[in-house]
Amino acid sequence: MRPVGEAALLPMANVAMIDYTLEFLTATGVEETFVFCCWKSAEIKEHLQKSKWCRHTSPNTVRFVTSDLYRSLGDVLRDVDAKSLVRSDFILVTGDVVSNFNISRALEEHKLRRKMEKNVSVMTMIFKESSPGHHARCHEDDIIVAMDSATNRVLHYQRTQGLKRFRFPMSLFQSSIENVEVRHDLLDCHISICSPQVAELFTDNFDYQTRDDFVRGLLVNEEILGNQIHMHVTTEQYGAHICNLLMYKAVCSDIIRRWVYPLTPEMNFTDDKNQSYTHSKHNIYRGVDVSLGHGSVLEENILIGQGTVIGSNCFVTNSVIGQNCRIGDRVILDGAFLWDRVHIADNVEICHSVICDEAEVKEKVKLKPRCVLSSQVVVGPDITLSEGTVISLHPPDEEEEDEDQFSDDSGVNKMESKVKLKGYNKKDVGSEGRGYLWKADDKNEEDEEEQRQSLWGPALHSEEESESDSDLSLGSEEPDSRTASPQLDDIKVFQNEVLGTLQRGEEENISCDNLVLEINSLKYAYNIGLKEMMQVLSKVILEFPLQQLDANSDSQNYFSALLPLLKNWTPLFKNYIKRASDHLNALFAIEEFFLEHDSLCTSIAKVLMTFYQLEILEEDVILNWFSLRDTSDKGKQLRKNQRLQKFIQWLEEAEEESSDGDQD
Amino acid sequence: MVGSVFFLLVVMQKSSACLSPTKIWTMQAYICIFRKQATTFLLFSYSSEVIVITRKEIQKVLNLDTKMKLDFVCISDNMDMGTADSLRHIHQKIKTDVLVLSCDLITDVDLYKVVDLFRTHDATLSMLMKKTHEPTEGVPGQKGKKKPVEQRDFIGVDDTGKRLLFMANEADLDEELVIKRSILQKHPRMHIRTGLMDAHLYCLKKYVVDFLVENRTITSLRSELIPHLVRKQFSSPMSLQQGQDNKEEDQKKKDQASLDIYSFIKEDNSLLKPAPDNSCWNDRRGDMNETLHEGKVRCYVHIMKEGLCFRVNTLGLYIEANRQVPKLLLNLGLEEPLVHLSAQVTDRGMVGSDSIVGSSTQVGEKTSIKHSIIGNMCTIKDKVKITNCIIMNSVTIEEGCCLQGSVICHNAVIEKGAEIKDCLIGSDQRLETKAKHVNEVIVGTEQLMEI
Repeated sequence: MRPVGEAALLPMANVAMIDYTLEFLTATGVEETFVFCCWKSAEIKEHLQKSKWCRHTSPNTVRFVTSDLYRSLGDVLRDVDAKSLVRSDFILVTGDVVSNFNISRALEEHKLRRKMEKNVSVMTMIFKESSPGHHARCHEDDIIVAMDSATNRVLHYQRTQGLKRFRFPMSLFQSSIENVEVRHDLLDCHISICSPQVAELFTDNFDYQTRDDFVRGLLVNEEILGNQIHMHVTTEQYGAHICNLLMYKAVCSDIIRRWVYPLTPEMNFTDDKNQSYTHSKHNIYRGVDVSLGHGSVLEENILIGQGTVIGSNCFVTNSVIGQNCRIGDRVILDGAFLWDRVHIADNVEICHSVICDEAEVKEKVKLKPRCVLSSQVVVGPDITLSEGTVISLHPPDEEEEDEDQFSDDSGVNKMESKVKLKGYNKKDVGSEGRGYLWKADDKNEEDEEEQRQSLWGPALHSEEESESDSDLSLGSEEPDSRTASPQLDDIKVFQNEVLGTLQRGEEENISCDNLVLEINSLKYAYNIGLKEMMQVLSKVILEFPLQQLDANSDSQNYFSALLPLLKNWTPLFKNYIKRASDHLNALFAIEEFFLEHDSLCTSIAKVLMTFYQLEILEEDVILNWFSLRDTSDKGKQLRKNQRLQKFIQWLEEAEEESSDGDQD
Repeated sequence: MVGSVFFLLVVMQKSSACLSPTKIWTMQAYICIFRKQATTFLLFSYSSEVIVITRKEIQKVLNLDTKMKLDFVCISDNMDMGTADSLRHIHQKIKTDVLVLSCDLITDVDLYKVVDLFRTHDATLSMLMKKTHEPTEGVPGQKGKKKPVEQRDFIGVDDTGKRLLFMANEADLDEELVIKRSILQKHPRMHIRTGLMDAHLYCLKKYVVDFLVENRTITSLRSELIPHLVRKQFSSPMSLQQGQDNKEEDQKKKDQASLDIYSFIKEDNSLLKPAPDNSCWNDRRGDMNETLHEGKVRCYVHIMKEGLCFRVNTLGLYIEANRQVPKLLLNLGLEEPLVHLSAQVTDRGMVGSDSIVGSSTQVGEKTSIKHSIIGNMCTIKDKVKITNCIIMNSVTIEEGCCLQGSVICHNAVIEKGAEIKDCLIGSDQRLETKAKHVNEVIVGTEQLMEI
């Protein structure tokens, strides 16, 4: 029996998620657990070896299996079959399941079913009943199930994925089943009791990647394969699969509110001496050596880790605070999840946000709901982060390829060099801040609600999506960063190369023709399209003066530095900007640049003017760009810039004149 | 004879509160054909107004002596009127909520269960359903056991089994059954049941009748109005107007713009209005957003678990109903005995306790009658064996016949020593001496159509 483990080391109420999973398995009577791990296996192994699971007294023998070849649940189970690790029924869970479910009844039912009809039922899925609108219902994990209410057989299993209508094939409603029950009140706990056949079936069907594939395949081919899936619904016991930050928050607060009893903080089930808590009324848990300043109020549902110091006149409610945190005076924490060694300065207000290890929040910072500060990020002082802000140490272009901004610090060194090239945006993180704004998908702003969902909800998740779709259901089990999307990589590298080329060109006074040749060869080497080419070029040139000037320079200085560059490199632009779409792309890149550098915003009119005067951009394209409607709010703001409007007005008049001239 | 002459019986109450929790028995005419020369026989304990919509010819033969006030409305023979049309026809007589039932229904349901559903939930519609009856014995004249190729109904009810959430007929569906998310959001557990029979008994709000009056395109309650109401439960008033137009335009060509049921709902009781908002009672286990009154249209269904419920619309069901009715009559506490006083039965002992013998019927010596119903004015001679039969009025059966599982219509004559098994004998037919028939339909040509 085993969970498919993965990098579930994120602390959930100060305990790593995998510990909850292992505790659940042990408590339910599992005696042997295989942890399969494909990513950050070294850290997980280290964590497990330190934990009580690897002591001699542990009733549950934990074995650790790791391989670079594991890229999905399917791979793991095929390997299980190949090595024939299991011969009897086993429990399949992911490493981010929190549950106090007692499996024995479901297991009995499962065994009985297999006895009655030999080997027909291969899997029993565990569901928890929870009505729509329940806070622990996860949007992306929302499911709809059709079952035979007499036998608990699963007839249809589907993720709702925001569908408005659900379709059930007519074949479900055979006369043999009198009462088909359609249920939308179930939470998939991602716990399944499997027979050894499951592993064999994965081997037979090499296209199955996830459990979803398996379930779908089995249900669709039921007639052919003759296998059935059953389900067990629990109403009393707790089970949840943490797939995004919303779920993280919901489950965390459930743990503190003792819904997962006996898995409560003061039980210290991990048997770690740093994790002993005292439980007092209003669900306030305190670790050892917690100091609380004068006049500070702990309202309710609070967990404070060992060694944390809270200043005076603070107000804390519904929050989790990790070990060895320093919290200043007059701090308000409402629904905050602080991991270990977080520093919070005075007069900070944090609302429904997650702050990872060793992050620092300076004075007078305000975090609106659903913010995330990844590890070692510094924000402030005196800044307000708007709703859903995510800040990590990795530059925004880089973020798609790094796996975990919350607990990952291996990438930091690598990034250090880039940091030198690109300053932190003071607008985003404050004057003493360290970190970059992380954007989920800034081009997709048509649906605001969806946007918010993707920022906070699947924040953990969206990183994985770029890796491989098949990994979705497996939580963070994913291949390592080397396999990250090559295209993004290339653009980034290409951008650096172009930057280098231009720098050299500037220093050594290389002619534009030669620069064009060099950039062209780079373009082919990295297989860059014209569109990306245009964006990269505009961006690099616009950012060029920033390196020479210090970060606080105003737009005047910036423009005077930019002007000679633009004049020098006019042939370069002219070489690439030929069609109308190129013009537009260049304009978009310019817009993007100025959106990112708010302080330089005022010079946009001048820059455009220069482009126009140098005959790089044509007037009708600029007008066209200006009148584009489907822009973001920020873009609209930008267009309200007075100078820009004057420039546009001037352009319009100029055009009228010229067209008049044409008529004459 | 046994063809389903469909007509409508409208039971109208003085006020909806008057629908008192008493047993209301409705009974189909055909069953009691011999005891009463009537097509419709209705027992109604509490006084109320009853409107019977029927055809002239049927009204003529109707001879009801009940305490109820019956109001007959005749519709012309040559008009093809659906149930909704009939209701529309008499709409000016309907002043309050209404109970509609068709006359081919025989049931001993506690009607208050249906009516209570209607009242407790302030429902738009409440109806009665029963598990489809599996015919136990074969139907005369039917070769082999062919299953009736019927289109199944899919009925979706909530967890309590009372709220009607979904209704679809196999005929209207392609490969899939489509359920809207909004329904499941409110009622996350839906039981989809097949094999339920609609008893065609509906409690309807007055405004539904008003709606019918305006919406002339709806001709049938069962196939048009009821599914429409069920659908409307989960759609908002405004979006519906469009949705309905789009959806139904292809179904039927509408001359007039379809009117929205919501515009007919009257908020008459201003005192009760704040009650649902202030109540913490919730009629479902879904999301807790709004309680009862998120939708003004609500449909409920009472599904009978046990008891008698027939819709006599096939020959098989007719025979089955006839078998069951003697038991029903016994339970009712009849004023007349099963064997009519004016019947002359020589060997009383040979007549089974579950058999009925009509008035002025003569039964000869050594004649046994088991599980059978004999009409009025029949002559049954000696040494006849009758088992599982339905014998209508003025039938003559001569000596030594053996009848089994058959239906024999009015004025038929069966001569000596005939052996008949599982047959249907039409009226005025004459079977010759020692004739043997098994599983046959013997009717005059003009009657063929009716079977």
